[in-house]
Amino acid sequence: MSAIRIDTVRVWDLPLRIFHWLLVLAIAAAYVTGEFGGSEWAQWHGRIGWLILGLLLFRLIWGVIGSWHARFANFLPTPARVIAYVRGEWQGVGHNPLGALSVVALLALVTAQVATGLFASDDIAFAGPLSNWIGKSASDRLTGWHEQIFYVLAGFIVLHVVAIAFYLLVRKSNLIAAMITGNKPGSGALQAWTEKPLAWRFLVAALVAATVSWWIFSSPPSLQAEAAAAPAATADW
Amino acid sequence: MNRKILLALSLSGMATVALGGPIEDQIRFRQSAYSFISWNTGKIKKQVVDQPATYNKEQVIAAANAIAAVANSGLSSLYGPGTDQGTGWRPTQLKSEFFQKPEEARRLAVAFNTAANELARVAPSGDLDAIKTQFGKLSETCKGCHNNFRQRD
Repeated sequence: MSAIRIDTVRVWDLPLRIFHWLLVLAIAAAYVTGEFGGSEWAQWHGRIGWLILGLLLFRLIWGVIGSWHARFANFLPTPARVIAYVRGEWQGVGHNPLGALSVVALLALVTAQVATGLFASDDIAFAGPLSNWIGKSASDRLTGWHEQIFYVLAGFIVLHVVAIAFYLLVRKSNLIAAMITGNKPGSGALQAWTEKPLAWRFLVAALVAATVSWWIFSSPPSLQAEAAAAPAATADW
Repeated sequence: MNRKILLALSLSGMATVALGGPIEDQIRFRQSAYSFISWNTGKIKKQVVDQPATYNKEQVIAAANAIAAVANSGLSSLYGPGTDQGTGWRPTQLKSEFFQKPEEARRLAVAFNTAANELARVAPSGDLDAIKTQFGKLSETCKGCHNNFRQRD
């Protein structure tokens, strides 16, 4: 009987990879449209926020019904796993416990950004869909948080990139390629992975995510800070 | 002697008011100015950008004129020294950097005024596309100053 050596393992499924890279583009676009430009770009900032909300919802659902390595239950670290990893005793193929912690941190920060953004306003001509729900001063406060959280998120993104660079240059492990092809080179994959077809689950996840985010963004106009009404056309003062 | 002191104090008080008023007044007036501008930009945005079906030419002209009028009303006198601290209607959000970069502040203020004047010039044309474009440029000038000199909450 010959031993079967698994050299590359499909770790990241296609929906997950598409999600990751769409999120990268969306966050970059959100930064540019949020920081620069006038009211036209601000409108785009809102639409991109909508996209990010949908992507996040998709990831949350996928983390429950997706492929093995995408499921949070299968990689979220317990303190024991983290300690084992630091001691060099962790064995696995997907995210190692530190990587898993960074996934949690990044997802949490992006979620916080979107959540505060829903209530934010730029005091010029653009406001999020729920900006009037909690009143102006609360909206101002959340706008401030939306601006501050960005810096924390940016810091974690830098850390994320540095970590990937470290793995690439020092550990000789190309995680960028892994997130494109989905294949992670490495011997001794412990989780044999027979997958039921993902396509149906992907459709379900995508539909639910799209519906919920559409519902949030179609908030009734009364919830959105709106220009005070102009006088009726027939008013003479 | 007392009358002279009283006279000196009154004159200084009046001079301060003439220069733009005590700090709180300056802050309050400029907060009011931007608030009033915001009402008018909101009207233009709604009628020209969001819901063009509600476009009312006269109202947009009036709003653009109002914005230009405020822009041209000499707001610089409301940015006297020391007005980066204090409370008008609410605590001021002016950054202290404003006073360290007067040339930059001037450039941004002039850009705002220029854009506002242009919007007022374009509004009577009734050309929604042109108005929308110029409105976009105006909002960029708002953002320019905010990004540099307005404290984040």
